[in-house]
Amino acid sequence: MQAQYLLRMSEETGVTEYQRLVSGVLAKDRKVTAEFVSHCADWIYPFVRHRLPRAELVEDLIQEIVFAAWQALPSFRGEANLRSWVMGIARHKLDDCYRRRIRELEMSDEDESPAEQAITPCLEQQLDLAQRQKRVQRVLAILPEPYALALIWQYRDEKSIREMAQLAGKTEKAMERLLARARENFKRRWSDDGV
Amino acid sequence: MTESDFEIEFRALLSEPQEISERAPSSLKARLYSGLIRKQQENGPLASLSASVKAGNAICVFEKLVQIAPVGEQAKSPFFCAACHARVLAELFERPPIFWSGCPYVDFKKS
Repeated sequence: MQAQYLLRMSEETGVTEYQRLVSGVLAKDRKVTAEFVSHCADWIYPFVRHRLPRAELVEDLIQEIVFAAWQALPSFRGEANLRSWVMGIARHKLDDCYRRRIRELEMSDEDESPAEQAITPCLEQQLDLAQRQKRVQRVLAILPEPYALALIWQYRDEKSIREMAQLAGKTEKAMERLLARARENFKRRWSDDGV
Repeated sequence: MTESDFEIEFRALLSEPQEISERAPSSLKARLYSGLIRKQQENGPLASLSASVKAGNAICVFEKLVQIAPVGEQAKSPFFCAACHARVLAELFERPPIFWSGCPYVDFKKS
């Protein structure tokens, strides 16, 4: 309700309500800081939760984003609205997180599946939207992390293979191989999950 | 099924979920808030409670006792919630049994 109020206020008065928030946080007013945290958390949480399959990473990343937004607040000019500005920081931090995780995590041999499998289970199921989304999250959560992140990066964030390769410090070929293995793994686990 | 059919299916399956109105859990907000206040305190005291009231913000009953006390502004700057059970409960539980007004941890529960 607070967020709706804030958005309504910002539509009516330009960015003045956001500026009140920003100046209050910079003045270290504890109550305004609480409002700032509440808004930021509501904006960032769904975005991050749907992009990080491991729940234990979600809170750490949200905290990193909120702290980064707070540290960068003196540079907020009010040209964009605060929400867009914070979400820009969130996207940047999420890319950093993907890059770190994909670079750092090595795949073990047992996770290396053949490039193509003889069976090609059908992904299409007659599930309602909510069920399907839950199942997608479930399958992503049990995938090896680099696979899940690579799939989300490409299909949810619509990154090109070239961009992903550049950000992760890999060749495009290596990124294509990673995605091929990720898709195979996803298909296999999707079928297992449906049994 | 061809490879491009799979591509289309993957795109549809992994596209942005529709739950756009989803809110952050209140306990997460509580932990973020306590963490951010600690960060703010690293380079100097918070604004005093009197400054907060002057800016039109509500304070809780415990903070009010400090705010009206005949002490200097510096004594009104510490983060008193650090010693309050409302903070502990709010950081641990989604629906903490805390109800008084002017408390940010109670407000997180409502938002």
